[in-house]
Amino acid sequence: MKRIVYGLLATLSGVVLLFSYRTSLEAVMPVAADDTAGTTSSTTTAPAPASTPSSSAGAPDTAGTTTPSASPSPSPSTSTAQTTSGLADGTYTGDAVRTRYGNVQVQITVSGGAITDVQVPQYPSSNREDQQINARALPVLISETTSAQSASIRMVSGATYTSQGYTQSLQSALDQAQQ
Amino acid sequence: MSSSEPRVWVETIMGTVVSVHAYGTTAFVQDAETAASVACAFDELREADRIFSTYREDSEISRLHRGKITLDEAHPLVAEVAAACLDAEQRSGGRFSATWRGWFDPTGYVKGWAVERAARMHLLPLLAATGATAIGINAGGDMQVGTAPGSDWVWRVGIADPHRAGEVLAIMDVVDGAVATSGTAERGAHILDPRSGEPATGVRSATVVADSLAEADLWATVAIVAGDDLSWVSAADSRSGMTVSDDGRVRRWMGATEVSVVTHADSAAR
Repeated sequence: MKRIVYGLLATLSGVVLLFSYRTSLEAVMPVAADDTAGTTSSTTTAPAPASTPSSSAGAPDTAGTTTPSASPSPSPSTSTAQTTSGLADGTYTGDAVRTRYGNVQVQITVSGGAITDVQVPQYPSSNREDQQINARALPVLISETTSAQSASIRMVSGATYTSQGYTQSLQSALDQAQQ
Repeated sequence: MSSSEPRVWVETIMGTVVSVHAYGTTAFVQDAETAASVACAFDELREADRIFSTYREDSEISRLHRGKITLDEAHPLVAEVAAACLDAEQRSGGRFSATWRGWFDPTGYVKGWAVERAARMHLLPLLAATGATAIGINAGGDMQVGTAPGSDWVWRVGIADPHRAGEVLAIMDVVDGAVATSGTAERGAHILDPRSGEPATGVRSATVVADSLAEADLWATVAIVAGDDLSWVSAADSRSGMTVSDDGRVRRWMGATEVSVVTHADSAAR
């Protein structure tokens, strides 16, 4: 049976979470490439383990650490945070996209402020390494986190500033703070 | 990681401000060899500016434009960049072009390319040094960062909010790679669609994460030109990214997959 491991890095309340899920390609209902159909069906297939009891444990222990562990572990990891996070409940669904490797689609379910399921209904089997690196770099909106998340920012990416604009930029402040 | 201390170098080059951040032991960040490598990286950028700046009468690009020299006579890096630009034009379906005005102007490509080149030549090799934890270079909001093998260092990168100066809209964690943002926030609609010659509108800011800064910078510019059309993502060597439209709407992707947020309220309304 073909299996893929998908990891997602999410940050909640100062805790870096790493979720790994095994997803069987065969077990997941194929989602049509049509966007709206995909969204609708994925919402209704919101997964069973939303009430995974282990998902309420672990947050206090890890609150002090700010670095994530390296890569998705082969077993489903269960760390999560309290439900007061800014991550909105719902289903995060990627449109099926045709790539040079094949069709790709990602589906994430958030319940009680924690990610309870990540599925990749469609993913080419060849590119596991890409998945892991991608998982580390998904931009997370500040509005989906708590303000503490911005505390450890090292660098700021922004539309090209001129040398005049730099003096008012966040990067300027960061550069000075580090010196 | 607790033993890592920072050192920062800042210089004004290519009309923008370039920051280098090194993290590691005191011995590493204060080492004369570390400082010398950083100085070499800055020198490399100044050299790129001398060769490619369209603001300099005596640059190779300006002399090419005036017909004073041919591509064969120009600095060898010019031919390298010209080939890369042609390749970029093809891969972007014409959304990027260095020649659409009728002459060769690689301004939109050179910055990311030069910063990545300087990083790979002089900065990232430092990560093999004893005591090194991480090093990164940020030129006007476009960065190439790296982490020492075995280190648990993560670069937390903030993405500037194009609608609120001084605010961060999103964050992400990068270990090794590049982040580039293009947009109209500071300089207005200065990115032109090479297919029409008209200013690109609709997307106020586009951020692309890739292994290579030349690629990230290229595709961030392409994203501005493409506007609401994200189809270019499947052709790009992009790890992830996001766009912010003029009306504040955010779109994100991982690999070639758009990730959209559907809240319970939204999905109930459908």
